[in-house]
Amino acid sequence: MIKHHPKFELLQSFVDGDLPASLSAAVAIHADMCAQCQKKIALLTDQIAETSFEENFLDRFIVDDEAVDTIDFDKMIEGITESSDIDISETKVKKSIEFANKTYNLPTVLNNIILGKTAHIGKLSRTRLELQEDEIHTSLLHIEPGGGVPQHTHKGFELTLLLDGSFHDEHGEYVKGDFIMLDGSHTHNPISAEGCLCYTVANDALHFTQGINKLLNPIGAFIY
Amino acid sequence: MQTNLLSRVTSDKPIHMSEKINHPQLCAWLSAVANTRDKVSFTHLFKFFGPKIQSIARGKFPNEAQANEVVQETMSNVWRKAHLFDKDKGAATTWVYTVMRNVTFDMLRKIKGNKEDNLSDDIWPLAESMVCESESFDDHLENKQLLSVLEQLPEAQQAVVKGFYFMEMSQEQLAVHLNLPLGTIKSRLRLALSKLKVQLGEDND
Ligand SMILES: [Zn+2]
Repeated sequence: MIKHHPKFELLQSFVDGDLPASLSAAVAIHADMCAQCQKKIALLTDQIAETSFEENFLDRFIVDDEAVDTIDFDKMIEGITESSDIDISETKVKKSIEFANKTYNLPTVLNNIILGKTAHIGKLSRTRLELQEDEIHTSLLHIEPGGGVPQHTHKGFELTLLLDGSFHDEHGEYVKGDFIMLDGSHTHNPISAEGCLCYTVANDALHFTQGINKLLNPIGAFIY
Repeated sequence: MQTNLLSRVTSDKPIHMSEKINHPQLCAWLSAVANTRDKVSFTHLFKFFGPKIQSIARGKFPNEAQANEVVQETMSNVWRKAHLFDKDKGAATTWVYTVMRNVTFDMLRKIKGNKEDNLSDDIWPLAESMVCESESFDDHLENKQLLSVLEQLPEAQQAVVKGFYFMEMSQEQLAVHLNLPLGTIKSRLRLALSKLKVQLGEDND
């Protein structure tokens, strides 16, 4: 059962359209698997739509000459309705990806995001999602059974969304659908006994904290 | 953007249907656009939504031309995609809001880095209901039943129950949000729950 959900503020920004694409996609993927968050998002959307389009009684007293000057609504309406064509929405194809000879269906939310090449280190494989969001890096991270990420902390945030399989760290067990947001105050060492596929978003390289693992800093950059 | 989510509840208005918006009318216009490509209905929709979209977009874009482009894009999507609107699955305002938010999101992404990947409709689909219809969630049926019973409660109580269960707000948070004393929240919740129990049957708890 899913135990980790995006916090309320995140859902709110998601509905407002204020999150970067990487995190918006993550919330959407989670909500597809989580009836609870789906319901909250639906309620929040109804409410913000209502508020946005409500006739504010103050509106009637604000005469905005500038707006009237710069936009010709009648002309716009004419232009739009000139053609009676409708947009036929394409049916969504299920895309998949292969890691370690196992095929995984990808969430349809990711359908139009370009995937980069896959890189490997030990039991870890990483495929970058080319979202071009500057310091925010988004990837699909695959851990083969028995693999893990050495103990590390983050200077920024690290979001892990479990798409398939499970892993555990010192805080507990995580399953498909779990939305795990960590920041610099967390240290962890995820290990996956049965293997897993994660959608990850991070805005800074991971920072390894333990003895010999400090030598592993290339992995930190790799995962980020 | 902070939304004043539940503030209207304090004046004892329903959460979903504000008296300030004529929802059945908007819905009828949007359906007429979808079904008969009715330009008169579209003009009504435009007069209602256009200026509001423009003022919202002005808060999000640095220049006016871009804000106007949001109006143009949103309203032409409304014209071309109205058939995707399903009146059984939500209000017209919610659907138009989704169209507007999606246009805004794609445009902002494009402005920031020349990324023309138009991801918004994958993230926030226009055609599917946000409400899950899948059978795989065990609490689904229960929630559906609960929702329909909930609608029969007085609005003041509905707001408290929805906030408490669906938004998972604490009673203290609700008190702040609704601008009511904690004691009022507690008593409304208690009242609502006792009514719900009767309606849902005692075997439900
Ligand atoms: Zn959730």
